[in-house]
Amino acid sequence: MSTAVKLVPVQVAYDDLLSRTLSRISCDLGRLIYLASTRDYNAGNYHHEGLATRFSPEVARKALEIAHRQVFYKVSAFSLEELVTDLEAYLRSTRENTQEFLRTWQKLEPYRVAIPTEVNLTVARLFTSNLRLALAILRFRQEPSHSHR
Amino acid sequence: MGISSVLVGAVVLLVLILVWIRADSTSRHLPSVPEEWLSDQGDAAEVCPPEFVSQVFSAQDLAFVSRLESRDLKRRFLRERCAVALFWVQQTTAAIHRIMRRHLEASRLSEDLEFAVEARIFLQYAQLRLICAALFLSIGLAGPQRLHGMASLANQLTQRIGDMLKEFESGARTREMDGA
Repeated sequence: MSTAVKLVPVQVAYDDLLSRTLSRISCDLGRLIYLASTRDYNAGNYHHEGLATRFSPEVARKALEIAHRQVFYKVSAFSLEELVTDLEAYLRSTRENTQEFLRTWQKLEPYRVAIPTEVNLTVARLFTSNLRLALAILRFRQEPSHSHR
Repeated sequence: MGISSVLVGAVVLLVLILVWIRADSTSRHLPSVPEEWLSDQGDAAEVCPPEFVSQVFSAQDLAFVSRLESRDLKRRFLRERCAVALFWVQQTTAAIHRIMRRHLEASRLSEDLEFAVEARIFLQYAQLRLICAALFLSIGLAGPQRLHGMASLANQLTQRIGDMLKEFESGARTREMDGA
């Protein structure tokens, strides 16, 4: 009974997060990066000011954690072609210089911090591997003359 | 005849050792996520969801990369996918080993073991270990895309053994409660 009572506000907070915040982000990779950014690097806890005020810090934390894991599994399940399209959409949304973006992402691999805790390790490995490939494909498309060998 | 058979056997053994070494070095290639995470994970995260196993061993992404007509990209894709596939084999082997170890510890304390159930669990475990060893050797040679069926079978067996052991554990708990 108490579990059911606890789960209801988490579901409401989760729906609120989807409708108010995540729906405004144009691509799934953007949603994933956003959700990962709500996680404290040191403690690993999630925090969202608006959500915590409307519900409670604990409920907000749980809703963010669930949303993060779900978006992560969704992006990891993308085919390589879908991931390239989503990465392109994310790149456009950042309004950064394409070459600069690709170079930085290939060098620093910032998407590694987007992996939630308690996910299957093979899926996490597939995610990073696919992103490395998607970046290489976008770079190849940017410089076609250098890559046709 | 005798000497040539020994020679052929030695060559086959050497090839297998080389393939094993190559597969092992590929699986260590491209570190991705900290291995220490594994110890913190529950059973749910231990076994890879079947849709992702299908994806790792699917030919769809290879077809997409092939359409780009870049040898470098194709080579890179094959190397990356082999590393992920080998990692999955290692993860599955380690997960099933941990599950079996837990079962053996529980069996030692149990007073009413059923021989038929134990034999079935052991046979499935042996079959899975054999498939994992075969996959580990074949991934580097044939590529993950040709081993989709074998990988699905290994994943099904892992799930089946996990379910059987869960049933065994809940049965043992019920018997304990009845006896108390």
